[in-house]
Amino acid sequence: MNCREAQEIILASFDGDILQGERNDLDKHLSACAACSDFATSQTRLDLLLREQIIAPKLSVSFKAAVRATVAAPRSIMLPAWLPDVAYGAGAVAGLALSAVLLPFAVPTVITIGTSVAIAAYLLQTFLRTALQQSIE
Amino acid sequence: MADEDVQRLLCDHRYGLAFELILQRYQKKVFHLAYSILKESANAEDVAQDIFVKLWQVLPLYDGRAAVSTWLYAISRNTALSALRAGSYRKTLPLENCNSPVTDPEAGLRCRQLREVLPLLSQIEQEVITLFYLQDCSVDDVVGMLDMPAGTVKSHLHRARRKLAEYMRS
Repeated sequence: MNCREAQEIILASFDGDILQGERNDLDKHLSACAACSDFATSQTRLDLLLREQIIAPKLSVSFKAAVRATVAAPRSIMLPAWLPDVAYGAGAVAGLALSAVLLPFAVPTVITIGTSVAIAAYLLQTFLRTALQQSIE
Repeated sequence: MADEDVQRLLCDHRYGLAFELILQRYQKKVFHLAYSILKESANAEDVAQDIFVKLWQVLPLYDGRAAVSTWLYAISRNTALSALRAGSYRKTLPLENCNSPVTDPEAGLRCRQLREVLPLLSQIEQEVITLFYLQDCSVDDVVGMLDMPAGTVKSHLHRARRKLAEYMRS
């Protein structure tokens, strides 16, 4: 067994991975090698220190109750962002159809003027909505 | 397999019961995982709470491809790392208070040394070594929590031990 192998076995021993045969070979090596013996001592000291200092913190007793309370709270209903645009489009189409039927003007004229007004109104409200959102953010 | 009952509940869309089982079974491990990353128990607890709330929201999306625990640990680690990156949590050591009696100055010194050298390890080495000791020195637990092969966990552990001993000597 060389020093590199001996040190690997020393390190593995802290993970619980050491066979009896390896232990015997290691002991033999350590009795003859001061450097590996020092390595084993410093690693054992480090392991003890880590065991002593890394202590599992305790969860507060209210943890589960707090989680349950949070997940039980009613979720706010998030409407999809595209919904206002779709609603506007549907309203505009319905308004145009109604105007074409009810108004005493030629249908193509009503549709042309109505579409122009609807598009202009849509652009204006989009601009205003964006400006309002930016001022809030 | 321990998660089979949870998986069955999820397949039956019984999310409330499945969530309750997961909370009961994994609250401590999720907390430890968050703590190994954030290194402060109060913040780790806040993040653990966020993790379970996030889990509740995505529970219907569970597709059964990975084990529930693997899925939960992935959510936990990502959430804790995001919190760490967001910088809202202090990046100190897992040793909030040195567990040494006032009457033992040498132990106090070693503890302070450890506090100084632990952050010199890479993020993953800090996580692995902290989790290993938090989980009663169980490599298997760390393997499950970090979803890494055992060989990789051991190699991080060994490298961390070598570095720590080296730093503490110098």
